[in-house]
Amino acid sequence: MHRHSPVNCFVPPHILKNIATKGTASQKNLAISTLKTSERMRGQRQALSEFSAAAFRVAAGGKDRVIYDAKNGSGLPGTVVRKEGDGPTADVTVNEAYDGSGVTYDLFNDVYQRNSIDANGMRLDSTVHYRQGYDNAFWDGEQMVYGDGDEDQPAEERLFNRFTIAIDIIGHELTHGVTQFEAKLQYFQQSGALNESMSDVFGSLVKQYQLQQIASEADWIIGGGLLTENVNGVGIRSMKEPGTAYDDPVLGKDPQPGHMRDYVTTISDNGGVHINSGIPNRAFYVTALELGGFAWEKAGQIWYVTLKDKLTPSSKFQDCANETYQVAAQLFGAGSIEQQAVKKGWSEVGLTVGGTTTPPTEGGGCLEALLRMIGAAPAKG
Amino acid sequence: MDVERIKFERTGGFAGMTISRDMKLDDLSEEQAHTLMELLDELDFDELPEHLLGGESESMPDEYTYTITVATQRGEHTVITGDASAPEKMQDLLRLLNRLARLRKKH
Repeated sequence: MHRHSPVNCFVPPHILKNIATKGTASQKNLAISTLKTSERMRGQRQALSEFSAAAFRVAAGGKDRVIYDAKNGSGLPGTVVRKEGDGPTADVTVNEAYDGSGVTYDLFNDVYQRNSIDANGMRLDSTVHYRQGYDNAFWDGEQMVYGDGDEDQPAEERLFNRFTIAIDIIGHELTHGVTQFEAKLQYFQQSGALNESMSDVFGSLVKQYQLQQIASEADWIIGGGLLTENVNGVGIRSMKEPGTAYDDPVLGKDPQPGHMRDYVTTISDNGGVHINSGIPNRAFYVTALELGGFAWEKAGQIWYVTLKDKLTPSSKFQDCANETYQVAAQLFGAGSIEQQAVKKGWSEVGLTVGGTTTPPTEGGGCLEALLRMIGAAPAKG
Repeated sequence: MDVERIKFERTGGFAGMTISRDMKLDDLSEEQAHTLMELLDELDFDELPEHLLGGESESMPDEYTYTITVATQRGEHTVITGDASAPEKMQDLLRLLNRLARLRKKH
């Protein structure tokens, strides 16, 4: 199944991590390969996070993208086809992966002051043209992987276009990496649905950031353009109206709920992680629309700080609701319109926050003060 | 292998759409059945461990999870695997089963 190296038999992980960080190029490659194999065998994703941050860090600590071509095979990462600073290629898929990961980097770096996935300049690796007829994209713990859809089917039967076609998919996959380094939300049931929702939230914000759209202008669709014209649907998920993205004789109907009363209990899909994510997705949408303006500025900031500092691997929807409410108070002040918007967001999906009194903060939250300083928020009083 | 039927389910993925098919060999064309048997034999499917997933059976975000059950006269054998952990030699089988499950969904 995996290529084993003799090193795997006896060298402890902490020594392999040192080699991965400090060894020669060939030593690094061998150590990384061995750690990856061990990592997957043992399921210790934490170890992978720690070493890959060191192994892929760039000296300058800036944006560093590499796009690989799997040439329709399943070997990862594939052949390098575009690196940071290279001009566009003739392959639109390569260019979409490059540009999309660039805008994602920019959003996290410019708005949230986060330098890449690991907050420490980790290189952004993407592989395109993965397998034949592969109608999916995923994050494998180290990199993004994109299929071409069902390009191997006759045109009249195709359901999916290439998965780089929607920039929010690229932002979605990269955000799985951020979550892996921060809250480490377990990919199962409610914590898994929160993991998915965080990826949809920041995936959508990447698209809005690229288009410079305010909340009321955005379509809040995840995977817009992914479905072919043979399908009756506008995308894969709707954050605005979960359950309405598609309704098609072949694909069926979008199963997402937008309220806790419709929560779906299932063992499929890791306990419905792509289904119940509709609930926190809509909470974010309502919050952002309530606040108006650019959603990445206030609502996005609240969700980002919550993901980075508050959520834990086993967090559930109510935990996320409580924490975003508290973070809103920390950033903007107790009782602020931002905190009330968060409360409304969760209330509209059936979750109550604000049962306990948050101590008032003098002069409002630090972010609000900063925004006032630069004239981006109205003066208090 | 003296295969009687095959059950295939694909769950997860970025879109979260499940496809599945429970098929007898008789349901398939002669060519499809022949190819399927060849792929199962090449894999020594009976000898594969039930869990071919990375780590503690937890999927990587957005990868597909595949559950394949092959029933013979001797009983059933199930293998569960995912995109990031499926062995290279299993790719042709997964692709064929995906296609067969999709065809059933369409018709």
